[in-house]
Amino acid sequence: MSSLWLWVALGFYSLGLAHALLTVARRRQAWFRSALLAFGLGFIFHFVALVEHGLALGRFPVTNISEATSLFAFLLTLGFLVVYWAYEMTSLSVFAFPVVFVMTLASALSQRPAAVSPLVKASWVPVHVSFALVGYAALILACLAGVMYLIQERELKRHQPHAFYYRLPPLDTIDRLGARALTVGFPFITLGLLIGAVGASGAWGPDWIRDPKVALSFVLWFIYLLLVISRVSAGWRGRRAAVLAILGMVMALASWSANYLSAHHAFLGH
Amino acid sequence: MQLSLIGLSHHTAPVEVRERLHFPEKDIPPALHALRERPGVGEALIFSTCNRVEVLARLEDGLEALPLLADFLATTRRVAPESFQSYLYHHSQRDAVRHVFRVAASLDSMVLGEPQVLGQLKAAYATARAVGTVGSVLDEVLTHAFAVAKKVRSETGIAASAVSVSYAAVELARKIFGSLEGRNVFVIGAGKMSELAARHLLHSGAQAIFVTNRTYARAQELATQWGGRAIQFDDLLNHVAQADIILSSTGCPHYIIKKEDGVRFLAERRNRPMFFIDIAVPRDIDPELNSLDNIFVYNIDDLEQVVAANRRVRQQEAVRAEDIVEREVDRLLARLKRLELAPTIVALQEKLHAWRQQELERARLGTLTPEQRAAVEEMSRALVNKILHLQLTQLKRLPQEPDGLKFIEFIRRTFQLKD
Repeated sequence: MSSLWLWVALGFYSLGLAHALLTVARRRQAWFRSALLAFGLGFIFHFVALVEHGLALGRFPVTNISEATSLFAFLLTLGFLVVYWAYEMTSLSVFAFPVVFVMTLASALSQRPAAVSPLVKASWVPVHVSFALVGYAALILACLAGVMYLIQERELKRHQPHAFYYRLPPLDTIDRLGARALTVGFPFITLGLLIGAVGASGAWGPDWIRDPKVALSFVLWFIYLLLVISRVSAGWRGRRAAVLAILGMVMALASWSANYLSAHHAFLGH
Repeated sequence: MQLSLIGLSHHTAPVEVRERLHFPEKDIPPALHALRERPGVGEALIFSTCNRVEVLARLEDGLEALPLLADFLATTRRVAPESFQSYLYHHSQRDAVRHVFRVAASLDSMVLGEPQVLGQLKAAYATARAVGTVGSVLDEVLTHAFAVAKKVRSETGIAASAVSVSYAAVELARKIFGSLEGRNVFVIGAGKMSELAARHLLHSGAQAIFVTNRTYARAQELATQWGGRAIQFDDLLNHVAQADIILSSTGCPHYIIKKEDGVRFLAERRNRPMFFIDIAVPRDIDPELNSLDNIFVYNIDDLEQVVAANRRVRQQEAVRAEDIVEREVDRLLARLKRLELAPTIVALQEKLHAWRQQELERARLGTLTPEQRAAVEEMSRALVNKILHLQLTQLKRLPQEPDGLKFIEFIRRTFQLKD
C-alpha cells in the first residue's frame, strides 16, 4: 500500500512546513538543521512510495493527477536539495518547503485506484509527462529565485534593511540560481512538449492542437523561450528576468489547472 | 572558594579615571606577583584595556574582597583610593563569572559585539598563566568564557552585521555581488573616508582599477598604492562602466554622474549590476540612478541608516546572547561545585577504606589467630593510608595548577566517586 509511505513522507515534510512558518513568524531561522533532516527523510520515503507504487502498477506512476503531483513534489524536493548542496542557500527552504508539502498533501488526498485509459498506456506518455515535470520543477525553482530576488532587490533599493535583508542571499547568487534553473528546466520542457506534440498528433490526428492545455503550454513555452533569449542575448537579468520567471510560473499554474479542462490531459477523462 | 572581581569600565568611569588605573603591559606580571603575595589570594588575573581595568581573583573564604583588591589597585597604580572608589564595581561568585562571560562575549563593550575584547582577554589570560597566577578555578572560568564568546558569536547575530559606515558599504556590496573577488572598484576623489572604505573593499577581495582625483598627482599616488590606474578627472565618465563598485567623494558642487550616464553604463555593461557609494556632501551621484534596474546608489545618510538598523539587530541579538551566558554560568558553577577539592578528598578516603573493608571480609580471615588477623588489618590500613597520603599531597596542590580541575575530574572518574 504505497499511500502509507506517502503519508510518512508527508509527515516529515510537515516538519519542514513548521520550520518555514516559524521562521517567517519569528523572523529568524528556526530549527533549520532538524527541518532539513526531516526533509531528507521525507524525500527518501517519498522515493520508496513512488517505487512501490510503480511496482504495484507495473508501470511508471504518472498516469493520473495524483501520481503526477506526487512525482512533481518529489522532483521539487530533489531540486531544493541540489540547490542547498550547491549554494548552501538555506533561505530557499522557507519558500520551497511549503510548496512541496502542499503538493504532496494534494497528491495524498486525491489518491484513488487508477483505471487507466488506453491513451496513457502509450509508451511516449510517461516520457512526455516526466520531462514536463522535471522542467516544471526547475522552473518553479527559477520562480522562487525570482521572488527572492524581488524581495532582496526591494530591500536594497529602499536603503532600509529589514529581516529579509539579513536572511536572504546576495542578489547575484539568487540571479545565478534563477539562470541555472532556467538552463536546466528549459530543455526538459521543450523535449517534453515535442514528445507530446509528436505523440499526440499520431494518436488523435490534427485535433490535438485545439486542446486548451496544449495551447496554454505553448504560450508558457514562448515565455520561457523569451526569458532564455533575453538572458543570453539582451543581457536581461535581475529584476526583469525575475518578473518574467514569476510570470512564467503563473502561466505554468494556469496550464496545470487546465488539466481539469482538457479532454486529453485529464489522464482518465471525466 | 571565593571568586571576586572588581573593576571599572567605560560604563562607570570617565577616561580620566580609567587612564590613571590602566596597567601598561609590562607592569602586569610584577603586579600579579604582588597580588598573589597578599595573604588569602589563591589566583589572580588583571585585565586592562582602554575601556576597562578589572582584577579577578580567587580568595580564601571569609576574606573581605573589595577592600583588599581596591587597596591593591591603589598601591600598585599609586593612586589615592578615594579618587576611584566610587567608580568601582564589585562582583562575587556567580556574578563574577557572569561578568567575565559577558565581557568575553562583547556584551559589555562600548560597541556591542566588537571582536577585539576577546583577543585582549585571551592575552591577559596568557600573561597571568605565564606568570603562574592562574590556577584551576580561573583557568576553568576563563577557558569557559572563551567558549561562551565563540558560542555567542556563532549562535546569535550579535557580530553579524557592520556597525561602521565603511564596513556597511562592504557588506552592502556583498549583498549585491555575493563574493567581491575580482570586482572592480573605481575611487572618485581621495578623502579619508573613501580611502578607508576602499581599503575595506580591497581587503574583501575587490580590486581597484581606477582612481581619479582633482589633483592628478594624488590619484597617481593612490593608484600605485592600490595597484590600480590613475584617470584624469575629466575623463572619468569614459571609465565608470568598467567598474562594479564606484566610491565617490569629491568636493564637486553638482552631480558628476547623472541618470542618463547610468543608462549608458548599463547598456555598455549588459545590465551587470553597479553599486554607487556616494559619501560626498554635496552629493556626486544623481539619486535618480537608484531608480534604474541593476543600479544601487547609497549616499552617506543611507549608509548611516543601514548602520542604525544593524545596531538594532545587534541589540535584539544581545538579548539572546544574555540567555546563552546565563545558561553557561549555571553549567560552569555546577561543574565547579562538582569538582570541589574538599568533598573529593573526603569521598576518596571513604571509598578506599570501604574497599579495604570489603576485601578484608572477602578474604575469610576466620582461620587466623586474633593477632594474625590484627596484623593483616593493620597492614591493609597502612597500605590505604600510604596511597591516600600520596594522593592527598598531590591533590592539595591542584588548586594552584591551571589543569587542576581536570585532574580532580580524572580522580573522580577513576575511583568512581559519586557526583
